[in-house]
Amino acid sequence: MAQNINPHYASSSNPAKQSEDTIKLKDNHAVSKRLQKELMELMRCSDKGISAFPESENLFKWIGTINGPLETVYAGHKYKLSLEFPNSYPYAPPVVKFMTPCFHPNVDTCGLICLDILKDKWTALYDVRTVLLSIQSLLAEPNTQSPLNQQASYLWPNQAAYKKYLDEFYNKHKDS
Amino acid sequence: MMNINHKKEDLKLYWNKINYAYPILDDKIFSDCTEAEYDEVQVLIVNLGVQIKIRDLVFVHIEKYLRQHVASSFWSKYIKTAEEVKGFQLFKSSVNDLYEAVSSFSPMLQRLTKLNSSCNDNKLIYGEKNLVLGFKQLVRATLLSQLPIDFQCIINQFYKISFNVFDNEYENSDMGEDIMCSGCGNEYSDCNCAYIVKVFHETNRKLVELQLLERLTGQVLTNFIQLRIQSHIQKVCTGTFDVSHIEALESWLNTTVMSWLIRIYCAGSSKPPPDDKNIQNAISRFKQKLTYYLYHSYTKTRIDQLFNIIIEYPDSQPAVDDIKICLAKTDLRPTLCKKLQNALETRLLHPGVNTPDILTAYISTIRALRHLDPSGVILETVTKPVRNYLRSREDTVRSVVSSLTEEGAGSELAEELAKFAAEGDGDADKDEAWDEWNPDPVDADPKVDSNDRRTNDIISMLVNVYGSKELFVNEYRTLLADRLLAQSVINTEKEIRYLELLKIRFGESQLHFCEVMLKDISDSKRINSLIHQDKTIEELNKKFTSNAMILSAQFWPPFKDESLELPEEIKEHFEAYTKSYEALKGNRTLSWKPHLGNVNLEIEIGEKKLDLTVSPFNATLIMHFQNKSEWTLDELHQVMKVPITILRRKITYWQSMGLIAEKSTDHFVLVEADNKASVPSHQVQEMICEDEETESAMASAHDQREGELQVFWSYIVGMLTNLDCLPLDRIHQMLKMFASQAPGTECSLMELRQFLDTKVRTHQLVLQGGMYKLPKT
Repeated sequence: MAQNINPHYASSSNPAKQSEDTIKLKDNHAVSKRLQKELMELMRCSDKGISAFPESENLFKWIGTINGPLETVYAGHKYKLSLEFPNSYPYAPPVVKFMTPCFHPNVDTCGLICLDILKDKWTALYDVRTVLLSIQSLLAEPNTQSPLNQQASYLWPNQAAYKKYLDEFYNKHKDS
Repeated sequence: MMNINHKKEDLKLYWNKINYAYPILDDKIFSDCTEAEYDEVQVLIVNLGVQIKIRDLVFVHIEKYLRQHVASSFWSKYIKTAEEVKGFQLFKSSVNDLYEAVSSFSPMLQRLTKLNSSCNDNKLIYGEKNLVLGFKQLVRATLLSQLPIDFQCIINQFYKISFNVFDNEYENSDMGEDIMCSGCGNEYSDCNCAYIVKVFHETNRKLVELQLLERLTGQVLTNFIQLRIQSHIQKVCTGTFDVSHIEALESWLNTTVMSWLIRIYCAGSSKPPPDDKNIQNAISRFKQKLTYYLYHSYTKTRIDQLFNIIIEYPDSQPAVDDIKICLAKTDLRPTLCKKLQNALETRLLHPGVNTPDILTAYISTIRALRHLDPSGVILETVTKPVRNYLRSREDTVRSVVSSLTEEGAGSELAEELAKFAAEGDGDADKDEAWDEWNPDPVDADPKVDSNDRRTNDIISMLVNVYGSKELFVNEYRTLLADRLLAQSVINTEKEIRYLELLKIRFGESQLHFCEVMLKDISDSKRINSLIHQDKTIEELNKKFTSNAMILSAQFWPPFKDESLELPEEIKEHFEAYTKSYEALKGNRTLSWKPHLGNVNLEIEIGEKKLDLTVSPFNATLIMHFQNKSEWTLDELHQVMKVPITILRRKITYWQSMGLIAEKSTDHFVLVEADNKASVPSHQVQEMICEDEETESAMASAHDQREGELQVFWSYIVGMLTNLDCLPLDRIHQMLKMFASQAPGTECSLMELRQFLDTKVRTHQLVLQGGMYKLPKT
C-alpha cells in the first residue's frame, strides 16, 4: 500500500513551497506521458465496446464510450462518460461520470458511479481501459446491496419490467 | 444729289470691273482678264480704299464655291464598290479632278496675292501668312468637313492594286510560265503594271502637293501595311521553327514596304528629297511605327506557336532565339506567360496524356524557357500548373525514376544525369562573373532567391515537384528491386554505374540501401555456388536445380504480401537449401518468399514439349495438375492457400497456353494431347492473357504511405466514437497532439483530407457540413 501513496500529497507536507511546485510540474509531465501511453495502448488494442479519447487538447479530460454488454438488458445502448484525471494520477483514481443519463442501481441521477475500484480499491495498476471494462461489466452485474438508485435496485430482479423501463428511459435521454 | 447719282453709276461700273477681275464673286472661275487689265482694276480698288473688304469678300466666295462645287463633286466618287479596278479608277479621277479644280484657281490667286500685298494689314489668312498656303488650308478644311463615312474603301483598293504591282517587282522569282501577271492580274500581253505605276505616282504627287496625302490615306495606309505585314508573317512562319526569321523580315520591311512607302511620299522617286525635312521625318516616323508593329506581330505569332516550338526544342532553337530578341523590343512578356500557360493546360494537363509525355514536355519546357529567359522567372511562372498537376499523378515518381535509369537514346534524363556527373562542381567560377550580373525582371517573385532559379537544373526541378529527395530515392529503390528480381541474369555492373551517378546527385547516405541490395545480388551468386557443392543439395539437384536470391530484409523495400503454398517436393528442396545455408552461415537462416522469382519449366504433353519461364505461382498451379488432371477452384484454393479470385485470374495464363480448359464453371481439366479436340479453340483465344512481367512485386510508394496512414485510422475512429463529429483541421490537430509517437507519421492537412476522403468513399466515414463522423451502425 505504501507505493500507492500519492507523492503529490506526500510532498505537500514539505514546508518549502517552491520545491512543491517543481514536483508538481515534473509530476504533470509524468502524468501526461502516462496518459499518452494509455491512449496509444487503447488505440492499438481497440477492445470491442469501449473507447475513449481526450476531449480537446487537454490530456486530463477524456470522453469515453461504452456499449451496453451483449445479452444483457443494456445491449444496444451506448453511454458516454467523462473521465477527469487528477494531477496525482495514477496514484489517485480518475473521476468518472456518466454523461448519458443511465438507469442503473449503482448510478445516481447526476451520473455518479458507485464502484469500489474508483474509490478505495483503486491502485496505480488500473488504467483507462480497465476502468471502462469494469464499468461495462458493472452494467451487466449491478451491486444491488448498496444502491444509489433505489428504484432501479427494486426493479432489477424483474428483468422484463426492468428492460421495458430502461429502454423507455434510454430513448428519452440518450440525446441529452 | 447729282453727285450721288453719278457716284452710283460709277460704283456700278467699278463693281463690274471688279467682278471681271474676280469672277468668283459671280460664282465663276474663268475670266479673260489680262494682267494689264487687272493692274488697272487694282488701282481702282486701292483708290476706293476697299482692298481689304474685296479680299475678304473674295475669300468668302471662294469658300462657298469650294463647298458647293469642288468638295461635293470630289466626295461623290467615294462610294463603296466591290471591284478593285473601279475603285482604283475612281480614286485616281477624284484626285485628278480635285487637282484640276484647285489649279484653276491659280490665276485668281495671283491677282489676290497682288491685292493682298496692297492691304498692308498683315492679317493671317486661314492661319497662314502666305495667301496661297492659306488657300490650300481652306481647300483641305472644306474637303475634310464633308468627309463621308466610307471614304477609305476606294483608297484601300487603290493602294492594294498598286502594292501588288510593287510587291511583284521585288519578288518576281517564279514568274516563269505564268500567263497572268501577278502584279495586276491581267495577262502579260496586256499587262497594266506600267500604267498602274504611272497613275500611282501621279496621284501621290498630286496628293502631296495638296498636302492631303497623310490625312486622306494615312490611316488606310497604316491599316493596309499592317495587314500586309501580318499576312506576310503568317506566310513565312508556318510550320518551321528551325530558321530565324527576324533578319529576313526586317529586310523585307526595308526593301519592299519602305521603298514603296518612300515612293508614295516622294512621288515616284526611290529616295526622299534630301532637302525636304518634313517628308524625311514623316517617313522615319512611319518606319518606326511599322518596325514595332512587325516585331509585335511576329512575337505574337511565335507566342501562339510557342507550345509547338517547345515540343520541338532544341531543333526549334532559332525560333526561341527570335522570341528572345523580340521580347526585349516589345512588351509581350505577360502575354507570353499567360498564353503558354493556357496552351500547356489545354494541351498537356488532362487525363488523356501519359505521364512520360507530360514529363518530356516539361523537360523541353525547362530547356527552352531556360534558354529564352536565363533568369528563370518565366519558367517559374509558366510551369507552376504543370508541377501541381504532376504532383497529383500517382505514377510521376516512377516515370521520372525509370527515365532516369533508362538506357539508350531518347532518355534525356539519363543524359542529364551523366552530364551532371561530368560537370562536377561548377560553382567555383560563380564569383568571377560578377560583372555580368543582371537584376531580376520586374515580374520575379522577390521571395525566391534568384540564384536558386538560375542554377536549378532539370533533375532538381523534377525532384522539386515533390519537394523531397527521399520519395525519389525510395521509388528508385523499388524500381531497382523490381529489376533485380525480374532478371535471371543480372547486369550488376550497369546498375552500379547508375547508382554511382545517382550518388553524386542525391548523396551517399540516401542510396546506401541500394548499395546493399546490389551487394546482396552478387553475394547470392557466391553463396549459391557454395551451397551447390553441398552433397545433399547435389543429390537434390539431380531432380531440379534452384538458385536462391538472398536479400537482406532490412534494406529491401517491403514486398507485396501474397500467400502461396508450394508443392511438397519444392518445400523439401527449400528446406534442404535452408539447412545448407545455415551450415554455411552460422546464426542466420532463410525466410522464403515463395511468390517471387522465376521458374524454368519443361512441360511434356503427349508429343508436345514446351520450354517456359513462368512465375512460381503459375509453376505451382501446373504442377498440381501433374498428379491430378481435374481440379476445382475450391480445391486449388485449399492446397495453394491463394484467394479464389486471384486463382481464377492466374489460371487464364494456362488456358491461353491451351494446357488447361474450364470444363464447367470453376472446374478445370488438363488438356491432354488426345482429347484436345474437345476444347473449343476460340474460347482459348478470347481469354485475356495477363502480362505477368508488368506487375511490380513491390508495394508502391503510394501503397506504403497508405499503410502508414492506416496507423492514424484507429485514432480517428477513437476520436469520432467519443467526440461524435469533428472538422478536418481539428482531426489534424488532435492527431498531431496525440498520435505523433506513432512511427513514420508526418501527415499534411492535404494528405489527411485525401485519406479521409477515401474513407468517405468506402463508407467508413460520413462527411456532413464540413464535419467528419462515423456512420451509424
